[in-house]
Amino acid sequence: MFKKILIANRGEIAVRIIKACREMGIQAAAVYSEADRSGLHVISADEAYCIGPAPAIESYLDVDRIIETARESGADAIHPGYGFLAENAAFARRCEEENIVFIGPNSKAMDLVGDKIRSRQTMDKAGIPIIPGMQGVHKSLEDCEKEAERIGYPVMIKASAGGGGKGMRICYEEANLKSGLEAGMREAKSAFGDESVYLEKYIEEPRHVEFQVLADNHGNTVHLFERECSIQRRHQKIVEESPSRALDPELRAHMGETAKKVINVSGYNNAGTVEFLLDENKKFYFLEVNARLQVEHPVTELVTGIDLVHQQIRVAAGEKLAFEQGSLEQKGHAIECRIYAEDPFNNFLPSAGKVLFFKEPRGPGVRHDCGIYQGSDVPIFYDPILAKLIVWAENRDLACKRMTCALDDYVILGIQTTIDFLKDVIGHPQFRAGNTTTHFINKNLQGWQGKEKTPETRGIAALAAAFDGARRTFAPGTRAGPAEAPTPWSALGKWRLGE
Amino acid sequence: MDYEFLMDNALCRISLDRKENLYFVSDGEREFTADIQPVADGVLSIKVGRKSFLAYIARDKGKRYVSIDGQNYIVKEPAADAGGFEGGEAGAQEDMLLIKAPMPGKVIKINVGENEEIRKNQTLAIVEAMKMENEIKSSIDGVVKKIFVKTGDLVDSEKPLIELDFKS
Repeated sequence: MFKKILIANRGEIAVRIIKACREMGIQAAAVYSEADRSGLHVISADEAYCIGPAPAIESYLDVDRIIETARESGADAIHPGYGFLAENAAFARRCEEENIVFIGPNSKAMDLVGDKIRSRQTMDKAGIPIIPGMQGVHKSLEDCEKEAERIGYPVMIKASAGGGGKGMRICYEEANLKSGLEAGMREAKSAFGDESVYLEKYIEEPRHVEFQVLADNHGNTVHLFERECSIQRRHQKIVEESPSRALDPELRAHMGETAKKVINVSGYNNAGTVEFLLDENKKFYFLEVNARLQVEHPVTELVTGIDLVHQQIRVAAGEKLAFEQGSLEQKGHAIECRIYAEDPFNNFLPSAGKVLFFKEPRGPGVRHDCGIYQGSDVPIFYDPILAKLIVWAENRDLACKRMTCALDDYVILGIQTTIDFLKDVIGHPQFRAGNTTTHFINKNLQGWQGKEKTPETRGIAALAAAFDGARRTFAPGTRAGPAEAPTPWSALGKWRLGE
Repeated sequence: MDYEFLMDNALCRISLDRKENLYFVSDGEREFTADIQPVADGVLSIKVGRKSFLAYIARDKGKRYVSIDGQNYIVKEPAADAGGFEGGEAGAQEDMLLIKAPMPGKVIKINVGENEEIRKNQTLAIVEAMKMENEIKSSIDGVVKKIFVKTGDLVDSEKPLIELDFKS
């Protein structure tokens, strides 16, 4: 087993991996940019190394610097988390050359599945159903216009190098194609360092269903069932669950076996996710393989009882899988909500700044994977994900209720977050009924403005603010000078003196 | 004691009278009695009748964030927001002409030049934060008077980016 792992990431996922290392008795080395000096992952690790300035391209994406740091720290393996270098085959290859174990798939398989075009061709040949689309990446606008015409609008512009909604655009007509391609390429370049994009037929109102797969280096492959991730905003998943309401045991088994086949024809090892779109006729199409630990991996962990990060580390260290397909089962229901630093009351604008107050929800069946703490800074340079709230319960209905309570108990002050919006997603009758497609938000929560707050809470909030020393006047309607010392203690003291 | 502030941008007046350990509260609509105990810095235990609430309070420059029962409020002093509060039309027009950064971020593109004529809803600049691009659009037909930033600049929320003018 490894002695020390370098975690080439930040935020909640770095913290998650560091915890797994601690549990397994492995030293954890963190890396950080100048903007993350006081990041939670830096505090959680056994040791931490600054790898450059704030922009990711000069730090978390700097391959040479990270390899150098792994050498310096004496780490025998690197865990890339998700995003950044996680699906960069050149980085995985570099690790292989430097004799540092990359905790993820081999670089050859990553090359294949990371190239969305080539993997589509491979799957097509292997008889796995794919979405109609371009045979190669974007070369010129004219070429794309022709292809879009052939495939038929609406078409989806997708980044060849990655997922997570980055670089993705839907085009309903030719007039929007040019600007969509430009924006998609710019975003892809900034997110993945590769501006390649391609077009695919846009399937209306599908469900997004993906299968978690584990493959060891000894030819054993299992799937750990599905996650449904249909609830998306701007093509970014925000709520995920397992099991999916749309699958029956037969379809689940069929899709699971297909997912394993995808992994096997790709020569893929370690943890991976095979994404499918499921249309309203329960026909499924291969979308892509995510060659990394997924953001939403905890829902699988909660329903299967398998720790995926432990498994990734064990497989990378050369161990055989300790279980077979037949011994795995889905138990109960798990839901995850992603907590983003975005302002849902203001068109989901990113909300960087200082976390002034922080209280995380707790209770039976509540898990919180988190990258912030009270007092920490949320920089503008990285993904807006702050934390993930995951609940488990015996069934979906109870899981929804548990999630609602947990969201109600969750307090983050100082920056805006998506918590209020998520409450209305989970509480929506259509969500409760399981009518989840990738259009759920547009259909059900378009123009969301939040619920009317109750007068009772409002009165108590005003009372709290007043007690805390917010501006006071000496006679109704007149204004006093600037507010005085703003602590409850001093405000309380003054009132006492005035009595 | 009377208090006056903006809560979620609406004017709020509230009076508190302390009698022994209780506060008599009136907010114009309702009157109630509350038992308040500071629990920690920024945390108040407030009991109204049989129901107990925890209020979480965070202070930031001219603002207070207050959270009760899963509902968050932003409390500001009226003076801190005089433009929107009493500024009326002049304030609104200034907001239309002076384009400010909607959030902290990085200017990744400026789509217009000084003295260039622009149309309503035309994209003036793109500001990126957390890997999301945000297009800054014009709210008027007019002309670009001045550009205060350049591509690559890091900007804070409310930082003036571009000044517009109506066509003369």
